[in-house]
Amino acid sequence: MENPYICNGRAGIVAALLRGLAAFVVVLGCAGHGGSGVSAQEIETAIVLNSEEASVSVVDRKAMVQTHKFTVGREPHHIILTPDGRDLVLASTVTNELLFLDPATGIERRRIRNIVDPYQLGYSPDGKWFVTAAFRLHHVDIYEAKDFRLAKRIFIQSLPSHMAFDKASKTVFVTLQGTNSIVAYDLATQAELWTAPVGEAPAGILVLPDQKSLLVGLTGEDAAVVVDIEKRAVTKRIPTGRGAHNIFPMPGGKRILITNRIENTISAIDLATLSVVDTFHVSGGPDDLDFTPDGKQFWVTQRFRRKVAAVDMATRQVLGTVAVGRSPHGIFINGPHTVLRTVEPPAPAGKRP
Amino acid sequence: MQYLSNLWADAHGAILEYLVQPLMFRIGLTTYYEDVGAAVELVMLGATQILVILCVFRPIERGWSGERWSDPRPVRVDVTYTLLNQLGLLPLLVFVVMLPLVDELLDMTRLHGFVLPTVEQLVPWLGRNPLALFLVYFAAYDFAGYWMHRLQHALPWWWALHSLHHSQRQVGVWTDNRNHVFDDILREIWLAVVAILIGVEPGQYVGLILATRLIESFSHANVRFGFGRVFDKIVVDPWFHRTHHALASPAEPHIHDRNFSAVLPIWDILFRTAVYDYKPRPTGVDDPGVDADNALGWWGQQVAVGKRLGAAIAATFARQRTSRAT
Repeated sequence: MENPYICNGRAGIVAALLRGLAAFVVVLGCAGHGGSGVSAQEIETAIVLNSEEASVSVVDRKAMVQTHKFTVGREPHHIILTPDGRDLVLASTVTNELLFLDPATGIERRRIRNIVDPYQLGYSPDGKWFVTAAFRLHHVDIYEAKDFRLAKRIFIQSLPSHMAFDKASKTVFVTLQGTNSIVAYDLATQAELWTAPVGEAPAGILVLPDQKSLLVGLTGEDAAVVVDIEKRAVTKRIPTGRGAHNIFPMPGGKRILITNRIENTISAIDLATLSVVDTFHVSGGPDDLDFTPDGKQFWVTQRFRRKVAAVDMATRQVLGTVAVGRSPHGIFINGPHTVLRTVEPPAPAGKRP
Repeated sequence: MQYLSNLWADAHGAILEYLVQPLMFRIGLTTYYEDVGAAVELVMLGATQILVILCVFRPIERGWSGERWSDPRPVRVDVTYTLLNQLGLLPLLVFVVMLPLVDELLDMTRLHGFVLPTVEQLVPWLGRNPLALFLVYFAAYDFAGYWMHRLQHALPWWWALHSLHHSQRQVGVWTDNRNHVFDDILREIWLAVVAILIGVEPGQYVGLILATRLIESFSHANVRFGFGRVFDKIVVDPWFHRTHHALASPAEPHIHDRNFSAVLPIWDILFRTAVYDYKPRPTGVDDPGVDADNALGWWGQQVAVGKRLGAAIAATFARQRTSRAT
């Protein structure tokens, strides 16, 4: 089902409107179906999932306005790119669905049903495996990504939350908020390799570049911890702020950002020294974030404020906020990305590099 | 409207951000931060309802009062019900009893791949028209409420509970919350199941509950006016609902089994339970045992009605045994 609010109008008209009169794009653009349309990569949007409102907001980043909003399933929490970068995969948790959207406009292209409780989702770096963490229904599903055939459903105690893959696509690591631990699964055999206690309510998780350690945000504490994969034990504690939550590699790959939901800050951690080197103040329980293509800003969801904030990384200032819907969670910034992402979208042919 | 909506969102966010989430972090319940927003919003809804009653409905009641009341005590008990229910008991019931039950039910069905379609999936046009979607939810919710209310009157054990609500002889804007705790639990579960079945979009739930509660409160108002002979067919007004609270008499032994609708009188009109005769009638119940509730305070009423419920259930079993024996 296509979202009828969004239409590809004639390139010049729509591009101009997007800059000054974004709010009217919906109405005016619909008057001109057909035509060449605007390239998806030219539209500078942020797509925001309003988890408690069952809706998706499409934000014009230049005009700093929400251009439109459409309903989608129930409890959409997280969103990722497909390995080929052509689709955004949106997980509608309560309706057991994956929706594949146009990364720029949010238009739904296709839908896969019966993916049970896809709270968190991820592709292995080789694109072979697709994994979901069913937070409420206490299981981890490992699918073959090519056809979404379920390889194995693994029930686990309890509250599987976030996930990370090793570079070789052999292992997926999942945080378990209910048991304050992490678990590792072998992707090929879907066998559990090990579990290890890490601290209160672990959430975001990242395999560090050396592939020997993990970085885990402890939402029930005020720190991230480094976990040695071989020793299966915490080797370092990095104080960040209360409610340390999700982790995002920064452009350049030398630092990461971690959101501190209760502290209302975002800490930058240097991956060489594994220490906090910068702090950004963003109110409203900052949760998920994404970087602009030039790597100069990040946009972060403010769960309690029903807004997203744009933050300038050089000045550490909040440039502005945009009202979206209830409990905004996942966010995706569209554009020809020049920054490090888990999966890099391909550059459009004949366009920018 | 947008201003009010933003104000609401800002207040909700500030309470979560500065008060509730830090508290949850401190007591080690951070894992449940996703769930607590709904409970905070329920308390906010209750506070808003009380504010509207105090600042709008009560002045109207004072300016255009219908009956003159001699005894303020039973009204004070109703005020206690409203404060307790809206600021503590109902949110607690919803958060501790109803939501876990509903979640369990939802999770069980979802795990087996059974997911009910939402209204906007069935009629995509509604997904693009929030106001129309709201009205559909509103009507469906009210329709379910109508049938629940009829069961409250038809089933002896449920009437034993619900009769507390009808025992008030001085019906006013505070009376809506005069219910036994168990009656409230049943009502919340009923409406939550309906909300799941019709798939109420969470963003619309707050508006739905607030609109329903305010109209229900005002329909109990002790005033000498209604909404007129056209509008009183669209929305329940104090005249219409007062007939439902009327004291039964030999001439009208079942007058309280009329006008069940909470918000939309269309259900009573459709199912032939509507009475529009605009006759002033005293309110209360003709059963002295139930009428005795008026002499009791909040706790006394809860205990008395609990006993009444036990007696009604025992009587039902006794009847079944007798019918089997014969």
